[in-house]
Amino acid sequence: MKTLVLGAALASLLHITPTVILVKRQDAVAHLLPGADQFAARELHLSSADSKKLHDAVGWEPPDGVVTFYVGKHADQVTGALIFMRVDCQHGPLELAIGFDQRGTIRGVEVTKATVEMKPWVQEALRAGLTDSYRGLANDQAPVGAAKVKPQIGAMPGYMAELIDKGVMHGAAAYRLFYKS
Amino acid sequence: MLYDLRHSDLRVRWLVTLLLATLGTSYLFGAWMVGLYAGFSTTKVAETYGAAGEQMMMQMPPDTTMVTERPVSMAEMGEEQHHVDMNLLVQDTHVHMPMYAVIAAVLSIIVLGLAVSRGVGLAIITLLFAAPWLDFAGMWLTKLVSPSFAIVTVAGGWAMALGYTIVAALAIYQMWWRKP
Repeated sequence: MKTLVLGAALASLLHITPTVILVKRQDAVAHLLPGADQFAARELHLSSADSKKLHDAVGWEPPDGVVTFYVGKHADQVTGALIFMRVDCQHGPLELAIGFDQRGTIRGVEVTKATVEMKPWVQEALRAGLTDSYRGLANDQAPVGAAKVKPQIGAMPGYMAELIDKGVMHGAAAYRLFYKS
Repeated sequence: MLYDLRHSDLRVRWLVTLLLATLGTSYLFGAWMVGLYAGFSTTKVAETYGAAGEQMMMQMPPDTTMVTERPVSMAEMGEEQHHVDMNLLVQDTHVHMPMYAVIAAVLSIIVLGLAVSRGVGLAIITLLFAAPWLDFAGMWLTKLVSPSFAIVTVAGGWAMALGYTIVAALAIYQMWWRKP
């Protein structure tokens, strides 16, 4: 009996909780690429030199060497671009949607996925206004959303905010360095 | 037989029954999840865990960054192509292997109380532990060696289902019907 109880406790401690959708990808696209009615996937297959350049800039490179931007268009005019970024941590993955306007400024950030365990932490950080600080950020500015909300939230929500900052930094660097190449 | 499930206290038999029912339900949802994210055919498993594209890109990145652009629909942007890269497979192996070991151990404890020969007991316990090994060995071999090893993962999944079915069927039958 003791073995069973210990086993169940061990299993629950070791298991990363399932992923939950916080915002549907389609809804994130609608929010971050407003007015767009045509879309294109712009895939950048990075050379070794460019992967290194990205890594040197922000300490990250895409594991498969591919960065995908979704470009929104209306009447054949580009209205903006969007990238989905995954950020991993020991509690599981987070997914962000980062939208850019035509000038390359961040239009907005949505957290589209988290795990069951991370969801309340992420929501607390979002309620504290984390993503407000990204709006209008130039793609070469370091995101400081976590620093702004940390005094008002708990330790784990603060950690989630740091991860989201990191994802925004990675996405913005990919945009700055390669989107127009 | 280290203990006899057939003549065990009603509370033990009830515990084992509920445990098997709960594990069985989680296995059904596990199969559903496999269907959603990886698939049951070797082709689908190879696409999910294999290195087609990923390893090619990792081994042979282009000399200069290549850009391709293609039209996509709103629905296509909503679909996430599920591919398990190396980092995710490390994480999956780290979190799932201990849990699989605990499940195999719990099912093996049930096997120890079944009225089966020592040889059959050993075979079932081996099957219970071999299944997760096959599952993850298949994933790693598919990623690192060849997509042909997807069959090992498929075999591991079926072995897991077979092991559970054998234990559940024997335990339920012996605990509640067969009372020599």
